[in-house]
Amino acid sequence: MKNLKLLLGILTLAFISSCSSDNAEIDTEYPVIDITGANAFPIQCSTIERGKTFTFKATFNDNAELGSYSLDIHHNFDHHTHSTEVNTCETEAVKSPVKPMLFINNYTIPNGMKSYEATAQITIPADVDPGDYHFMIRLTDKEGWQTLKGLSIKIL
Amino acid sequence: MKNALSMYWKYCFLLIGLLVSIEVFSQNQSSEKKSEIKELEEVLISNNTVQKRKKEESLNVETVNNSFIQRNLGGSLMQSLQKLPGVKTISIGSGGSKPLIRGLSFNQVIVVENGLKHEGQQWGADHGLEIDQYAVNRVEIIKGPSSFIYGSDAVGGAINIKPLPLPSQSTFGGSVDLTGKSNNAQFGSSINLFGRNKNWFFDSRVTTMDYGDYRVPTDVVHVYSYAVPLYKNHLRNTAGKELDFHLSTGYSGEKLKSAFYFSNVHTKSGFFANAHGLEPRNVDLELHDKSSRDILMPYQQVNHLKVSNTTSFQLGNHAFETQIGFQNNFRREYSHYVNHGYMPAIYPEDMYAPQDLERQYDKDVWSFSAKDEFRLNRHQITVGTNIAGQENAIGGWSFLIPAFTQFNAGLFAYDKIELNEKWFLHGAIRYDYGKIKMKSYYDWFQSPVSENNQTQMEYLQRSQDLTKTFDSFTWSAGINYNPGNLSLKANLGSSFRMPIAKELASNGVNYHYFRFEKGNPNLDAERSYQLDLGIEWNQQNWSFQLTPFVNYFPNFIYLNPTSTHDIYYGAGNQVFEYEQSEVFRYGAEFQTRYYFLKSLSAEIGAEYLYSEQKSGSKKGYTLPFSPPPSVLFGLNYEPQISFLKDPYFSVDYRFTAQQNNIVPPEKKTAESHVFNVAFGSKVKTGNQDISINIQIQNLFNTRYLNHTSFYRLIELPEAGRNIIVSMKIPFLISR
Repeated sequence: MKNLKLLLGILTLAFISSCSSDNAEIDTEYPVIDITGANAFPIQCSTIERGKTFTFKATFNDNAELGSYSLDIHHNFDHHTHSTEVNTCETEAVKSPVKPMLFINNYTIPNGMKSYEATAQITIPADVDPGDYHFMIRLTDKEGWQTLKGLSIKIL
Repeated sequence: MKNALSMYWKYCFLLIGLLVSIEVFSQNQSSEKKSEIKELEEVLISNNTVQKRKKEESLNVETVNNSFIQRNLGGSLMQSLQKLPGVKTISIGSGGSKPLIRGLSFNQVIVVENGLKHEGQQWGADHGLEIDQYAVNRVEIIKGPSSFIYGSDAVGGAINIKPLPLPSQSTFGGSVDLTGKSNNAQFGSSINLFGRNKNWFFDSRVTTMDYGDYRVPTDVVHVYSYAVPLYKNHLRNTAGKELDFHLSTGYSGEKLKSAFYFSNVHTKSGFFANAHGLEPRNVDLELHDKSSRDILMPYQQVNHLKVSNTTSFQLGNHAFETQIGFQNNFRREYSHYVNHGYMPAIYPEDMYAPQDLERQYDKDVWSFSAKDEFRLNRHQITVGTNIAGQENAIGGWSFLIPAFTQFNAGLFAYDKIELNEKWFLHGAIRYDYGKIKMKSYYDWFQSPVSENNQTQMEYLQRSQDLTKTFDSFTWSAGINYNPGNLSLKANLGSSFRMPIAKELASNGVNYHYFRFEKGNPNLDAERSYQLDLGIEWNQQNWSFQLTPFVNYFPNFIYLNPTSTHDIYYGAGNQVFEYEQSEVFRYGAEFQTRYYFLKSLSAEIGAEYLYSEQKSGSKKGYTLPFSPPPSVLFGLNYEPQISFLKDPYFSVDYRFTAQQNNIVPPEKKTAESHVFNVAFGSKVKTGNQDISINIQIQNLFNTRYLNHTSFYRLIELPEAGRNIIVSMKIPFLISR
């Protein structure tokens, strides 16, 4: 019986001691996409003209270090997507795509940045279908946390 | 904060440990010995066999039988076993789940049914185990590495579904199982028919299930940042149905036994419609919310066929067993065509795959195994071999993993030494060889590729012809000491797992999580070293069990979220890439039961797990799907009522702690308090007893999140209140 008590003690001790580990603080925060600034573009319900080049502008923030971002413009003629924003925009009737605009690109952010003013030039070809589109911003931080922003826009 | 939490748990366990040691020695009162003899169809298996097995096995083994499953009936087999500490599930809706043993799942836990290793598409989070829980009589759960028995993949543990006991001689009978569930308006039935003359027997079963969308206690969910309204709390499009057939037949004589097993499990189930594709989607609400029972897109259809023969015979001192098996897993995922990357906006008419067939996996597995068990003085020796070959074809318009073929072979020897009644020693060695051959795949559409300022349209290559071979030597050593009421065990062992095609060569979009997954052809075979301890006390009115473990992986295979995006196939989605890192894990399960009276008992079951990556890009982080600590308190009342047999009434309260130990893209999960009530009885009718079991799960319709649910990432709460009524009506046609 004494042995048993001893064994139990050892077992418990072994368990407790194995619990202690060096725990450096790990990052569990998501990066932030900020499009509330005065010159942020596009924002929810923005319109863009065909045959012209516009400048994407947004502010990115992270508690530790930003990673990279991607931009994606695809059609929403079938109303398949909705946006992450609270207010909704007026949409055209559902239609079939003929030559929809498709844009996918990724962008690097210089190392070590906690805050970054992102700008990118995007050209809308003159011959694409006008209508409702979706503008996706995907931002990661160095650890791989990702934040999405989906905006409804119109190409005229 | 995190440290504070782990300190809290440390002290919890310390306290429990102390309490236990005090209690053990202050216990002296006696009550009538509970002789639990369970009726398993026509065969009587006493609980002592299970106890004996536990005492002679150095790994931590839990055994449950079909009456446990009936009392705790969940939507699928693993959900019914969740009450066991250390056993959790990754649930996919209300009708599917996969095992999660001490935080490990997917290809790190193997499932064996009738001696055959179950091979489905277990690498996928959306894959549920294709097992009919009505056809399960006895399940053994090994919590720990068991590669030396089962070969590659059993690094985390094994679920061994034992063959049905044979009907006794000259019987012909059967049973009908009926189940109804309120939450998803499920109706299930299973009909069993068995018979045997002197030596020839058969046992057959047909199971059907049909269920609607399940309900959650919320009317809006946030899929990432997108708000999705729910209609009448129904989780849109999670209805499903199932149809299963089983037949086992053969000969059982004194020296020779040969049984054929045939089974076919077919399921069709919907996925939550708003969270499938390239991004959270708007769906046609009118169409989807018209009926809660229809299965619209996206949905999956899975068929699993198994045919095998197990033959055992006695030759002198030797007991031989051979097994030949074939299985086919055919899984299809249907979804509306969504062009992504540079796929054409309109689906081409001359495509090789139907427009709605997003993915198709077709797996054929042939296997053979043989073993010889014999005694040499105090040694009980088992030597054996397993050989398996598989062929995997892919289909559908989208790509995630390539087609591949695989070959595995293993040789093992296991020695159990019975020093005396109290001491047992165990030693095992195993050698494995594996070869995997992946096939090349090109996109069916062109994408623009820029080189030297020139843009060209090209068919991109998603996967290359690639052959990888692996071999491994694993071992295990253990000891049992059983002085009286106490049993102690220790086991030290190594395990291994060959990387799978998904880890080596995936290169596509995971439509459930909106991410781009990329394989790594340079992965090594995963190794694991684990020390398992077990301490158990069994007394007439009191029992407890503590099973701590420490585990180390020098090269755990892990899907790492990177900070980059894929701009072709991935349509700008985040890239997740397979990597290997050192992982250190430890944990323990604790179970105790105390009888206040012969009819009244209380039980506690607790589990704790800690995992940490010690190297690599996620150094310091935990592993995905880490179950938070939890404690289950249960109260059972089993009164003597003259016209009833074995009536019971039980209340369970499960406290699950918060999980703040997360890794991208997981979210912290708050603590939860969930109550379940169960009651039932057998009713005497002639020779056969009808049993009725009633359960109310999530009694207070509590809204909570389960950290290890497939839908956790999209903030979906667990099912609301669910009343489950099940009934088993056995019948005997002749005897």
